[in-house]
Amino acid sequence: MDQVNKKPFSWKGFFLQWEWMLILLFLVVNVINTNLSPFYLDSVGLRDATMTFLDKAFMVFPMVMIMILRDIDISVSSTVALASVVMAHLYTLGVPMELAVVICLAVGAVCGLINGLLIVRFKELSAVIVTLSTMIIYRGIAYIILEDQSAGSFPEWFGFLGWGYIGGVPFILIAFVVMAVLFGLLLHKTTFGRRIYAIGNNPTASRFSGVQVDKIKILVFTLAGVMAAITALFLTSRMGSTRPNVALGYELDVIAMVVLGGISTAGGKGKMIGAIIAVFLIGFLRYGLGLINMPAQVLMIIIGLLLIVAVMVPNLKPKKKAKGKPPKSQDEQIAG
Amino acid sequence: MSEFVLELRGITKTFPGVKALDNVQFQLGPGEIHALMGENGAGKSTFIKVITGVHQPDEGQMFLNGKEVNFKNPTEAQKVGIAAIYQHVTCYPDLSVTENIFMGHEKIQKGTRRIRWKEMHEEANRLLKELGASFDAKTIMGTLSVAQQQMVEIAKALSTNAKIIIMDEPTAALSRNESEDLYRITEKLRDSGTSIIFISHRFEDMYRLASKVTVFRDSKYIGSWGVHDIPNEDLIVAMVGREIKQLFPKVETTIGSEVLRVEGLGKTGFFADVSFSLRKGEILGITGLVGAGRSEVCQAIFGVEPADKGKIFVKGVETTIQTPLQAMNKGIGYLPEDRQQQGLILSWGIDKNITLSSLSLISKKGWMNRKKEDEYANHLSKKVNVKTPNVANLVSSLSGGNQQKVAVAKLLMTGLDIIILDEPTKGVDVGAKSAIYEIISNLAAQGYGVIMVSSEMPEVISMSDRILVMREGRITAEIQAKQATQEAILEAAMASKESTEGQSLEASGL
Repeated sequence: MDQVNKKPFSWKGFFLQWEWMLILLFLVVNVINTNLSPFYLDSVGLRDATMTFLDKAFMVFPMVMIMILRDIDISVSSTVALASVVMAHLYTLGVPMELAVVICLAVGAVCGLINGLLIVRFKELSAVIVTLSTMIIYRGIAYIILEDQSAGSFPEWFGFLGWGYIGGVPFILIAFVVMAVLFGLLLHKTTFGRRIYAIGNNPTASRFSGVQVDKIKILVFTLAGVMAAITALFLTSRMGSTRPNVALGYELDVIAMVVLGGISTAGGKGKMIGAIIAVFLIGFLRYGLGLINMPAQVLMIIIGLLLIVAVMVPNLKPKKKAKGKPPKSQDEQIAG
Repeated sequence: MSEFVLELRGITKTFPGVKALDNVQFQLGPGEIHALMGENGAGKSTFIKVITGVHQPDEGQMFLNGKEVNFKNPTEAQKVGIAAIYQHVTCYPDLSVTENIFMGHEKIQKGTRRIRWKEMHEEANRLLKELGASFDAKTIMGTLSVAQQQMVEIAKALSTNAKIIIMDEPTAALSRNESEDLYRITEKLRDSGTSIIFISHRFEDMYRLASKVTVFRDSKYIGSWGVHDIPNEDLIVAMVGREIKQLFPKVETTIGSEVLRVEGLGKTGFFADVSFSLRKGEILGITGLVGAGRSEVCQAIFGVEPADKGKIFVKGVETTIQTPLQAMNKGIGYLPEDRQQQGLILSWGIDKNITLSSLSLISKKGWMNRKKEDEYANHLSKKVNVKTPNVANLVSSLSGGNQQKVAVAKLLMTGLDIIILDEPTKGVDVGAKSAIYEIISNLAAQGYGVIMVSSEMPEVISMSDRILVMREGRITAEIQAKQATQEAILEAAMASKESTEGQSLEASGL
């Protein structure tokens, strides 16, 4: 009676996934770029290009988790600024750089923890309101500390984070790949990740199933703070100095990458790999169009159009009755 | 001209997996208050929704003043003068009374399209005065009491010139005096020629107001009588006496030592002074009217909404339970009443649902073992006999009964001693019901202590070893199942008929 002959695996379903569309788009972007500019495929240029867009990409990983949880965090860029400014300020006051780096990470963790605690404690406030408030507060504190000054002249080893190479590969690229693998495993292969999907799909049922919803939310938001601090490290290293208005607007870039990566804003759906492809898609698009001196505004329009497509496509697929049945969850086949 | 204002013939409405209405008929005379009675799930609500155009019947005809009508949406029903007032008031709490009354049919100035506020306020105040209300039309809806909000709803119905008003359990949330006011208003409406369909679980409402009564049971029409032409006992039989064609495969078990005891459990506003014990291998039925506090007690024991008074002993040891996780660690499992919202993740496969509450069993230091998950899921879904070709299939593709089996399988995975089942057969068709009864029996036979909350009396009487009856947050009776009769349970669940303390006589939900 309720026999549904769903095959456990179908190639058609596999290739119809949003992630494959992203890879296709990525290839298209590269082909176009190659044709537009003879310098595009120059390996050194391409390699170094990754350094310019990967710093903010570290925040994509926790943002994927947050959006799967049906929440959002728009305070991350302010956390970057605060962590960066605190670190630079302490260093100029004579604190050893090693310790300043540790404090930078701690500041990020605390910022994230505060977000998580507020969101869990005040359930009537949505995450967007809570993080909007802390976004203003964290940035405000950064301004109080440095007062529109800049701070910098870090020790030489600190520059390695943003500019260094290991075996000809940029250090930041290696760090990104390592983190991507770690976060992919965390989301798709651990009980922690499974519970994140559970909460995003149905928080009530998750609670009734013994999932510690609040604890997981606090952890994920704290993780977002830590990753924002790591972004602060790479960004500060690459720029050589920092100001309170650093990383302005990064949160929107990060959210754009996550949405383009196929993570549903309604929660519970999407994969880490999609967001990772989206990071490179947007990064290479920006680099390629930069080579032919395309104005930044045009680039923004293209990214905006891509986002609309990304949000639209999953809504086009299930042409069943609109009786509120959610479409097939995308985390069925699991990608690391 | 027909002798009936509203007549329905042979109405059938099927939802996926459930026949909600089966060849139902109904006749409403002019200026008549007609009580519609039946158990929860008898089909009353669906029936109302057919009349008001929310649902379209699969079969059958509806006649309004002798003319056949088909409502495609609620607006069409509203236009011809049918209005419904629901149990839970559906209003705009932040808007004024006037805005609530005229929502959707505001008085608008021709040409400028300006809203004629003054006129609307005056009209609203006139309607409220007619109903005997003591508040102004400019009051914000949310600041009013439930009874007052109901008055606004009635005023709204009047403002649309409703000829037929349907009231769905309007007295459920009202105090004695407020009910009295409502009776007065209802009678006044009747006298002015409005026909009223009155749904209630209280016999008191029916005897006070209605001249005719129609009974539904199991989605079917049972009969229509003049209120005073049918003895109360016969009416109860009509409402609850179902054909016993369900099988209750109760297995005789040896009842062992005590696994759970609660003493003086209380939660302000929900229940008080609840004490009982549960033994190994025992099925303890908890019954009572909807809203008697049964689910709340169970959710307190499971830590969803912890109690603020009393003690819980698990296997003789006093324990505090603040979260579901703690309860599960203590060996207590809970099957929620609302399996779609609380029990399952519909957009997930059967396998992932089964393992969600016991991920530690299929993981090592947090790393999932998919093979082990598959084994567990296959084993458990076979054990409870989920009808599916593949455990990776989405739960949303299953029928209600099979979804419930998945929810039960979830409980079986963890090492539990105590299983609390909250309305385990709600919204499940007859065939799957007996399969679920079999599972429950087997659980008790395997040595689980089982608490079964249920509104269905045959189920409670046939499946339990012992029955607790709750009323208004307190346990009013403990009955050995062998001596239990529906009448005895009914009596404990409701205040007695002769009672003069002003308690209402409610008949169903049982």
